[in-house]
Amino acid sequence: MGKMTLVATVSLACLLCTATIALAADPGTEDPNNWPQYNRTTNAWRYSPLDQVNKENVSKLSVAWIAHGGDITMGIQETPLAIDGVIYSITSGDRVAALDGKTGRELWSYEPKLDPLVKKVLFAPYSRGVAVGHGMVFIGTVDGRGIALDQKTGKQMWETHLTDFANCHGCNFTSPPVIAGDVLTFGSTAGELATQGKIFGVDAKTGKKLWEFNTIKDDPHSWPGESGKYGGGGAWMPGTYDADTDTVFYGTGNPGKDFINSERAGDNLYTDSIVALDPKTGQLKWYRQEIKQDVWDYDSPYEVMLFKKDDKNLIVHMNKSGYVFVLDKNDGKIENIWPISDVKNFVKDIDKRTGELIGRVELPMNQETLICPSTFGGRSWNSGAYNPKSGLWYNNVLDFCGYLKPVAQKDDPKDYGTGHTGSNDFGRLVLAPDGRKPGRLDARDPFTGERKWTYEMDVPGFASALTTGGGLVFNGDPLGMLRAFDADTGKVLWSFNTGSGMRSGIISYAVDGEQYILVPSGWGSYAALLLPPLFPQLEKVPAASTLIAFKLAK
Amino acid sequence: MTRGFVMVAVVVILIGDVAFSEENIPNLKDPTMIAAGHDLFLGKQCAHCHGADGRGGINLTRRVLDPKGVFQSIADGREKSGLRMPAWRGVLSDDEIWQATAYVLSISQQSK
Ligand code: HEC
Repeated sequence: MGKMTLVATVSLACLLCTATIALAADPGTEDPNNWPQYNRTTNAWRYSPLDQVNKENVSKLSVAWIAHGGDITMGIQETPLAIDGVIYSITSGDRVAALDGKTGRELWSYEPKLDPLVKKVLFAPYSRGVAVGHGMVFIGTVDGRGIALDQKTGKQMWETHLTDFANCHGCNFTSPPVIAGDVLTFGSTAGELATQGKIFGVDAKTGKKLWEFNTIKDDPHSWPGESGKYGGGGAWMPGTYDADTDTVFYGTGNPGKDFINSERAGDNLYTDSIVALDPKTGQLKWYRQEIKQDVWDYDSPYEVMLFKKDDKNLIVHMNKSGYVFVLDKNDGKIENIWPISDVKNFVKDIDKRTGELIGRVELPMNQETLICPSTFGGRSWNSGAYNPKSGLWYNNVLDFCGYLKPVAQKDDPKDYGTGHTGSNDFGRLVLAPDGRKPGRLDARDPFTGERKWTYEMDVPGFASALTTGGGLVFNGDPLGMLRAFDADTGKVLWSFNTGSGMRSGIISYAVDGEQYILVPSGWGSYAALLLPPLFPQLEKVPAASTLIAFKLAK
Repeated sequence: MTRGFVMVAVVVILIGDVAFSEENIPNLKDPTMIAAGHDLFLGKQCAHCHGADGRGGINLTRRVLDPKGVFQSIADGREKSGLRMPAWRGVLSDDEIWQATAYVLSISQQSK
């Protein structure tokens, strides 16, 4: 290398490093015009810094374009991505499409030929998103493959069979992989399946499998006898990649059989935990189990949010029980634990310092026990959103309960349609004993849980919220209403009927100086199958698979 | 043992032994068949989506159903109005599918 080139390289490197420092000062604001990954940024805040649409003008939002996503089976559950004016979308049957962000015009589409066994398995045919990087679009498929497509053309670049789909009770991928530098990590479904859930590391360029991490620890203290063989676990939502420490964080699924713990009288690691993995090797750096020996279906796959507060690097993470764990990012040490709702009876409380479950309620066989929250959780898997300007974290809280009744069940991993749950159903749903409204959108301090405002709902929200630099929160409900709230006060500033319920992720992006709000609408998922007895209004909600983009009227 | 009891026992054994195919419809009004079907309905978690009594999320009791249609829905699964029911052909035997069919018909409108 000549002297000149060396100097040029060094100064270029320095330019990049100042840019990085400037960005680090304002976390959550990087790459403002895009929505480049599932929760937008690596801190998983679901915050778009764009502020063209704001409290004053949000009532002037109007439809810019509408696109049909594809097959409506089980609705549209994705959070689409927006990168440099192009939308990347995945719908039922793992159909992937690239759309022009200004017009919704389809640029290319791709549909994999799926294993016919997909018709028989528990978790299909939906996907919650794609990942984009290295000039490729990556998906995990509902038949257990990783697939890479050319970002420009949609042409398949590689595919890798990761799960042993036919022999793992149909364990598969319903979420996108995480891009951790040159490695992709894929987390499998498993919690209700007679199998052991895995997280896979794959070389992003070639698709070669590098490692697998078993979410079921090989340890007789944790899993006595044969109990770990079908221990479940898995990691069915995307994790968070932290480049600062080169760590990928995943929340893991529940142990099996869901409602029966008599045969698994250990702590059942690493189910219901956060695991911190080295993406290059799959080595476990640390773990924090949130629910020991779970019998209430309170898994931990939810978004792992990263914060820097008073020079401490923190994780804020909600478990399905509705308890929020504030942890040290470097070792998982507990900083605080707080509940999102007081509609909870599965324990008296969780110790704020040790994480011990205090006064847990066990489930006698063949008998109904009322458990709050229900198996849908204190919140569903849809992410919350954190706004650094308001300092508030917005979540769709579920305030209803269910009767759980464990019954004897024979293991049969070839019975793909039957969950390995130790029950006949996922619980008979009922309203909370005090008769309160079953749902609300809550704005709270993420570290203390202190509540600033709340918005009550007759049918609770099951979509991921969006918050923006314009001081807004966008939230969609199962009946189809999209609402914009004042992020500071919770006042409803605008609403729009999208025609079907929302079970997806709302995003924001900008092209050519115009800010868009993009909303996938299409009711579906197990919520659509299981909620109608409690919410008869939902029986009439039509399914759909629609992408609706809004911008300010000119 | 009385003669009547022997007759009943023989009939029960016969039903237990004869394998019915998709084409060959067994007696779907037989109470043992319906009871076996209800056990299966619970055990195979049909109750997840249909409720323990068929009145759950996807309510089956308000429908007018015919035997072959029900058999086919269970065997091949169903996608309707965006909702999906898994397929059980090859997982459940034809006999078991007929048992489940017998139970479903017993709670649907057709049989009333
Ligand atoms: C994952 C949820 C799910 C499970 C589990 C399930 N079903 Fe269904 N079932 C559905 C859906 C969705 C439909 C279609 C709804 C419609 O037709 O409106 C349906 C429809 C049906 C129908 C009606 C068919 C018709 O012609 O109208 C029958 C009968 C039925 N299911 C029986 C069963 C049986 C028996 C089982 C267990 C072996 C079972 N289902 C398991 C979801 C499920």
